Amino acid sequence: MKFDTIIIGGGLSALTCGIKLAKAGRDCLIIASGESALSFNSGSFGLLSRLPDGTAVEEPLKAIEQLPSSHPYVKIGIDNTRRYAASAKEFFADCGISLRGTERNLWRYTSSGKMKRCWLAMEDTTAFVSREDKVGDKALIVTVKGFQDFFPGFVAESLEKKGISCRCESIELDELDMLRSNASEMRATNIALTMEKDKIRKSFVKEISRIRQDEDMLILPQIFGYEDTRALEDIRKAVGMPVTFISTLMPSVPGIRTQKMLKKAFEAAGGTLMMGDCVTGAVIEGGKIKSVLTSNLGSYGLEADNFVLATGSFFGKGLASDFTKIYEPVLGLDVDASEKRDEWYSSSFFDRQAFIGFGVKTDNDLHPSRDGEAISNLYAAGSVLSGAESLYEGSGAGVAIITAMYAADKILEG
Amino acid sequence: MIPAQTTNDFDVIIIGGGITGTGTARDCALRGLRVLLVERDDIATGATGRNHGLLHSGARYAVKDSESAEECIRENTILRKIAAHCVEDTQGLFITLPEDEEIGYGLDYQKQFIDACTRAGIKATAMDPREAIAMEPSVNPALIGAVQVPDGSVDPFRLCSANLVDAKLHGAKVLTYHELVEIIREGDTVRGVRVRNKTTGQTSAYFAPVTVNAAGIWGHQVAEMAGVHVGMYPAKGALLIFAHRVNNVVINRCRKSADGDILVPGDTVSVIGTTSTKIPFEECDDVRVTPEEVDLMLREGSRLAPSLMTTRVLRAYAGVRPLVSADNDPTGRNISRGIVCLDHEKRDGLRGFITITGGKLMTYRLMAEMATDAVCEKLGVTVGCSTATTPLPGSESSDIKEISKKLWKMPTIAQKASVGRVGTRASQIKADDRFERSLVCECEQVSVAEVRSAMDNLDVHNLVDLRRRTRVGMGTCQGQLCACRAAGLLGKNRLCVKKEREDLASFMEERWKGLRPVAWGDALRGAELSAWEYSEVLGFDKEDEQ
Repeated sequence: MKFDTIIIGGGLSALTCGIKLAKAGRDCLIIASGESALSFNSGSFGLLSRLPDGTAVEEPLKAIEQLPSSHPYVKIGIDNTRRYAASAKEFFADCGISLRGTERNLWRYTSSGKMKRCWLAMEDTTAFVSREDKVGDKALIVTVKGFQDFFPGFVAESLEKKGISCRCESIELDELDMLRSNASEMRATNIALTMEKDKIRKSFVKEISRIRQDEDMLILPQIFGYEDTRALEDIRKAVGMPVTFISTLMPSVPGIRTQKMLKKAFEAAGGTLMMGDCVTGAVIEGGKIKSVLTSNLGSYGLEADNFVLATGSFFGKGLASDFTKIYEPVLGLDVDASEKRDEWYSSSFFDRQAFIGFGVKTDNDLHPSRDGEAISNLYAAGSVLSGAESLYEGSGAGVAIITAMYAADKILEG
Repeated sequence: MIPAQTTNDFDVIIIGGGITGTGTARDCALRGLRVLLVERDDIATGATGRNHGLLHSGARYAVKDSESAEECIRENTILRKIAAHCVEDTQGLFITLPEDEEIGYGLDYQKQFIDACTRAGIKATAMDPREAIAMEPSVNPALIGAVQVPDGSVDPFRLCSANLVDAKLHGAKVLTYHELVEIIREGDTVRGVRVRNKTTGQTSAYFAPVTVNAAGIWGHQVAEMAGVHVGMYPAKGALLIFAHRVNNVVINRCRKSADGDILVPGDTVSVIGTTSTKIPFEECDDVRVTPEEVDLMLREGSRLAPSLMTTRVLRAYAGVRPLVSADNDPTGRNISRGIVCLDHEKRDGLRGFITITGGKLMTYRLMAEMATDAVCEKLGVTVGCSTATTPLPGSESSDIKEISKKLWKMPTIAQKASVGRVGTRASQIKADDRFERSLVCECEQVSVAEVRSAMDNLDVHNLVDLRRRTRVGMGTCQGQLCACRAAGLLGKNRLCVKKEREDLASFMEERWKGLRPVAWGDALRGAELSAWEYSEVLGFDKEDEQ
């Protein structure tokens, strides 16, 4: 079987690249093994919230000029980065994902009610232009009784610091007893699936209206919006006050929803998805990948003209480690990483961790190398790349999207 | 200065909430004494909670130290009865490897070992390698001989907690998070202690005719505060916990004791250890495991069970043994790991003060008995010791299946797990409400009900305490989800969210301390996920612009 392009990985970067190529008429295969960083997405995308020296970033596309030359945004060229960033909203809108955002970073709530910067916010994510903005003065915070992955107390404490008074309530829902009987099923996505049923959501909302006193804003855990973002508007109309969804512990409902919609867009554009399989190696001849092998297909190689490695970082298994080294486990590519285990980490858990910046070494066209030799028909994209301290910088989604678009264009120019 | 208050609130004050202190508190309380126990942190924070959790048969000491061996097997037999819910009868193997032969620990030594065990009263049976592999499939298949002994595993947190629960049931007063600031002396007599409540900062004085120093390695400083010198030296022992139970039988090396030669299964994990390195006293409060120690444990451990090399390491940790330097030992005993019970009146002319130290987890009950005997002698109390025959709370019945059946028609996995943790006391965990059955910790199957019960009954002040009582956060995810959930529950009870935030942050720091030395492979993957969850999703960041 031969494709124009084979993409290894199934997260934000892989899907972005795949959609762009498939829409341009390329015969494209995505091989994805499992979880991606979208499962802990916070209902928004970040491009750059903080520079490596700690300076807070208001205008990310201006600030990228100050990044080091090893950063993926700089590697592919600052103008390219700006151009792809500017096209992102339209790109996702075409996939049915409506995003808000300007050239200035927005502010969104975290699960603990503290605010963080973001670049683009999903339709059902409450985001503010200024950190001081608020939607009301009296908040009613409601959760589902027995749901442990949302923390009304933390949220209330943060809001009260802003002068918003808070009242926390929990509502019992008999319909969730099925989930409760197996305690590890009481997760955000499972509840959200139950809440898709109109009747259940309506009885929940009715209960909210009953317990409401004089509050002028409603805060709910993000256990709505499994299929689409309409729940927010539905609930707002029914209760007659602004509603804010706050992200829960993983799995993230907006993240899983986004992943589903992107997969759908990819398939609609003619792409082929191969889920649950995993690339085990490649046949490399004359500095080019000829074919890749997968665990399900055994020795039967999948051929393509071009390949994209978008396998993510450690969580996505794009990077791996043992007690002597950091390595790229799929193709054995060269990595940028410290050889001393002691240098991988900080002594405080909450400090920036060096290992998050580790990744595959590439040239400026995102071609990785193996044993020092560049592979000319392979591109790396997203968090498998080295050079971005994505968590500290708030650049995870931005790097995923922008480097994927760049790789796709390089292939199309090919 | 003569203290204003001279009446005694208590008969005895015990300093230290480790296994020795809580064991002594229980013994004293069972003999009818009015007991106060003071501990600067939580219970089991020192060496008690930082060892193998091995229920020694005594075989390890049989050849070189028959007295310790005899103590061990006696206490081993007693603990199986009185602490059934803390003990697991895993049995143990002492294996001989080909390389042992080259250094004089071949099968000839094995004979000598079996003879010594038999003399000490330890049942030791030689096995051929095939039998040993059948009994414990993870064992190094290169072995040339094995001896089966009655080793087991013991959960030190549970044991310590059960002793404390019983002491309290018998009237003892317990002050955790109370730091000793002064030993109140009047001339050559110790009158009591002054402690500072670490939560409120308030200082109070308590008085008793006898004070017992049971502070482990910190007993060195406690003695100094009383004006006497006990020559201790801190010996650090590093250990690694593996993410699953690699072995079901304890595996030891049949040769001279060395680093990393014991592998103990316990609950859902296995533990390899240990080392013995002298460290300065300043380091006792913050012992860390070095990369070299990790590598050493892995290398040595894989000689016991080769699969350890490729098994995920969950954490690295280290404890500090309170060794009493033999040259400085006024009792004249030359066994540095033996029990040392000092009556400072006889030794130093200081009345009303006793130090109990040395020893090991295995012999805590005997140490408590010796200390309590000394206390009673001073007080003129003649009631005898009953701890060798009175079961600890939770251990009144030892059959886990039977306890579960009595409590629930169809026990869930979490309910069975909680019987395993608290024994018969599981009946006090109320789970009538369907919301109480939800799991807080999925790795260790800990329910909301069990967490609530621990918070209400077991002196839980924070998340780290809760972990010691319930195993929340001890599993493979190392607190990624369960710590937040438990913080939510603690928060509801305490109504102080700010404190909860700090508590959660310090819990994760504590987990990271043990995770960092072994963060590679799946552990690094988990650490990355936790970092994203806490910073990006929860907004727990160092940088706070607010």
